[in-house]
Amino acid sequence: MAQLDVMAKFQGVKGVVLGDLDGAFLDSVREPNGESIAAEMGFLSSSLKEAGEALGLGVLGTVALAGPVHASLVVVRGQTVITARVEPVKALPLVEKSVETSFQELT
Amino acid sequence: MENTLQSLLDLAGVNAAVVYDGAGRLVAQRGKAVYDRGLCEQVGGPISRAVDSIQLQHEDWEAVTARFGDGTLLLRSLGDVAGASYVLAVVADATLNPAFAAVAIRVAAIKLKKLLGGAASLPGLSALHSSLGSSVGPPGPGGSQLGAARGPGSSQLYPPGAHPASGSRPAMASSGLSWSKTGGSSPSSVAASDPAASAWLTRASKELARHVGPMAKVYVEEAVRRLCADATFSLAHGPALAEELSGQVEDPKDRTAFLQALGAGKAK
Repeated sequence: MAQLDVMAKFQGVKGVVLGDLDGAFLDSVREPNGESIAAEMGFLSSSLKEAGEALGLGVLGTVALAGPVHASLVVVRGQTVITARVEPVKALPLVEKSVETSFQELT
Repeated sequence: MENTLQSLLDLAGVNAAVVYDGAGRLVAQRGKAVYDRGLCEQVGGPISRAVDSIQLQHEDWEAVTARFGDGTLLLRSLGDVAGASYVLAVVADATLNPAFAAVAIRVAAIKLKKLLGGAASLPGLSALHSSLGSSVGPPGPGGSQLGAARGPGSSQLYPPGAHPASGSRPAMASSGLSWSKTGGSSPSSVAASDPAASAWLTRASKELARHVGPMAKVYVEEAVRRLCADATFSLAHGPALAEELSGQVEDPKDRTAFLQALGAGKAK
């Protein structure tokens, strides 16, 4: 999938997993733990989607997760969920920006 | 705690600020218009599930920013206090300044951690009362974890199941927005005849909010008062209320969509 390959090339992205909202694993780049990440981030995206619908926030686009050591960016497009492992954490805003611009061009 | 949440609410673009415990139970809440206690309680479940799944990959997570088409949901871990974890959730619209919000949420999180830590270090709910400066309800069975139930204009905190009105309003907790079943001293000033009517009002308010924003619940309340006068709202009033409310939606296409969503046929 084009989006997976594009995202894997962003500066700061160490690994990418492609899955869906049901948690199914579809593909990965530089990410050995793809199946569990796809399941967990699919579940996360579904839960946040449910919360967003109840709150009237519209369609879920991205989820940025940050901690002192780890960061991830989850991109939701329709049923597709793409999770990027970001290192270092401070690269997260840059990855978000890259996703915003590149995915607009792709979709 | 109320003051800290209110300071977040004062930030441009923020519509609600809520503290949940690890089980998704609402601990404290401040919200504008439709983001009332009932709605915030409703999303506690999905938010709790989301946090659980985050912890599988990011045990040390601090912040989550979920961007939606029409707004943002920000989650901030408040850490573990006396064995219980807490999360601050902020609901914002597109006008939010992310930089300002990040700073304000960080400050609020520090204050909330102190408040929660202070409350946990003292025995019983009366301790929470002292710490938070709020009125505290009577302890319920097994009420060691704090849940909260409060109406607009109050800051009362109760353990789960111990809300004074919880026995007489069984449908409210699960129906999203709060509507009175019997009228009188309820958070809402309109009365619904049964849980189905209450749920219909919730749906109408949410559908209207898609088109007119956070004033939707106020419009619904006003329309119910106009339509039902002193009578209790029932499902039989639904179609007439939908027509009445559709007058608030300017765009004809949106008006049709609104009426269809409420099963009230086509717009005039």
